[in-house]
Amino acid sequence: MPAPKPRINREDFDALVRASGLTLNEEQKSELHAAYGYIEAMSARVRSSGERPRSAEPAIIFNPRVT
Amino acid sequence: MRDIPSICEASAAIAAGRLSPIALTEACLARIDRHEKQVHSFIRLERDRALGAARTAEAEIKAGRRRGDLHGIPFAYKDIYETAGIPTTAHSKLLIEHVPTRDATTVTKLADAGIISFGKLATHEFAIGGPSFDLPFPPPCNPWSIEHFTGGSSSGTGAAVAAGFVLGGTGSDTGGSIRTPSAFCGLAGIKPTYGLVSRAGILPLSFTLDHAGPMAWTVEDCAILLQAMAGHDRADPASANPLIPDYRAELVGGIKNVSIGVIRHFYERDTTVTSEVGAAMEASISVLSRLGASVRDVTLPPLQDWQACCMIIMLAEAYAVHEPWLRTRFNDYGKCFRDRVAPGAFISSADYMAATRHRRELQEKLARVMTDVDLLILPSTPGPAPLTKDVGSYGVFEIPNFTMPFNVAGTPALSLCNGYGASGLPLSLQIVGRPFEDAAVLRAGHAHEKATPWKERRPQL
Repeated sequence: MPAPKPRINREDFDALVRASGLTLNEEQKSELHAAYGYIEAMSARVRSSGERPRSAEPAIIFNPRVT
Repeated sequence: MRDIPSICEASAAIAAGRLSPIALTEACLARIDRHEKQVHSFIRLERDRALGAARTAEAEIKAGRRRGDLHGIPFAYKDIYETAGIPTTAHSKLLIEHVPTRDATTVTKLADAGIISFGKLATHEFAIGGPSFDLPFPPPCNPWSIEHFTGGSSSGTGAAVAAGFVLGGTGSDTGGSIRTPSAFCGLAGIKPTYGLVSRAGILPLSFTLDHAGPMAWTVEDCAILLQAMAGHDRADPASANPLIPDYRAELVGGIKNVSIGVIRHFYERDTTVTSEVGAAMEASISVLSRLGASVRDVTLPPLQDWQACCMIIMLAEAYAVHEPWLRTRFNDYGKCFRDRVAPGAFISSADYMAATRHRRELQEKLARVMTDVDLLILPSTPGPAPLTKDVGSYGVFEIPNFTMPFNVAGTPALSLCNGYGASGLPLSLQIVGRPFEDAAVLRAGHAHEKATPWKERRPQL
């Protein structure tokens, strides 16, 4: 099953690559751009339950006691 | 005693003086000598160290200082568990010369229990990149059929235990990496409750999804191993401090009046399974009903929701772990690792936070369902092991799996064999419990195992 087509165009994706600090060749950038469609789909899915209350807590707990 | 005993069988024989730990170690080494060149389960076999440890164990046992059920049992570690003085490579060029100075907490605990360490086992690169043929060591082969995938990422452990090279091993499970190789290799493997087993000294993939746990031939073997591995550890910030029961003693009692929820929509609607897996599930439901459990269908959020949540968190956290090396040594990683982890560079903090908020919502929905049932069941995998050559980099992105929901929720989840397909490859059942009710999960798995003939068959190498 091929990756969903990414909405981000190649030029904008290349800007993300530059910002990440990764040094990739053209083939690597093309492959990652194609795979980015999966990330877009999953990012949409984790927001798909509608607008969350502002108070909706993440599943992250910070323990101020250092053991 | 059979040719390749379970831990329980070997342990009883050792305790009764009928089996020498040295003889057991030598028998396992002889099997390795005959078949490891087909299976490729080990990265580093510590033959002399194992024989020395077996001699020490035998002397201690004869002197009346038997430590317990694991004393004298051949064992090995997934090569992300740090072992002092022994290279821990994560199956990667980047750590080919890495020799830790300290053992992982679980390594220390298992050594104190008296296991005989045979060395370090193959893994997907850093527990995610595999099967890969561009790494310093080959990927392992499934002892049931050499061309077939072991599953991963605890691939070497799956292969070595199935082949009888060792009687148990460690795995880690971030999205299924104990349960999938257990399923494909016909073993029992448990991803315990998050925080039950220390992660200290285990090379991380994803901090909030990583779980450490045992893999072995039977559920009872897993109970014995979990007993040794579980417990609070100050060195692990996520370590819980629950009361640890006697997992082996709690296996008895059966499952009469236990209520079990079948997450049928996961494998009949949200994704598909082979007809053999479907038939094996129905057979397992019948077995559990016959044993006295009440079984009914339950509904959770769709499998795709769990997959998206798990993958966003996993990739963001994994990328954070590897960012310095990915920026400076990108091409020293295998291609499969790069394909799977590099996308984490492009997950925004808003994406990550949305996933963690989604995680709490999913966790709460699961907890609500489990106020009405004691356990959940579903397949571990959608089919038996595929051919290794057909496993691509993006399978976990494309198709939701049955294991990720319980990494997201942190609940205990056990994979055990529930039959064989027409090809002779193992099929598997997954049993899930409430947090810290690992004993209940093991009890149900043990009851199913004792009521079925699946453990009588071993791969023929």
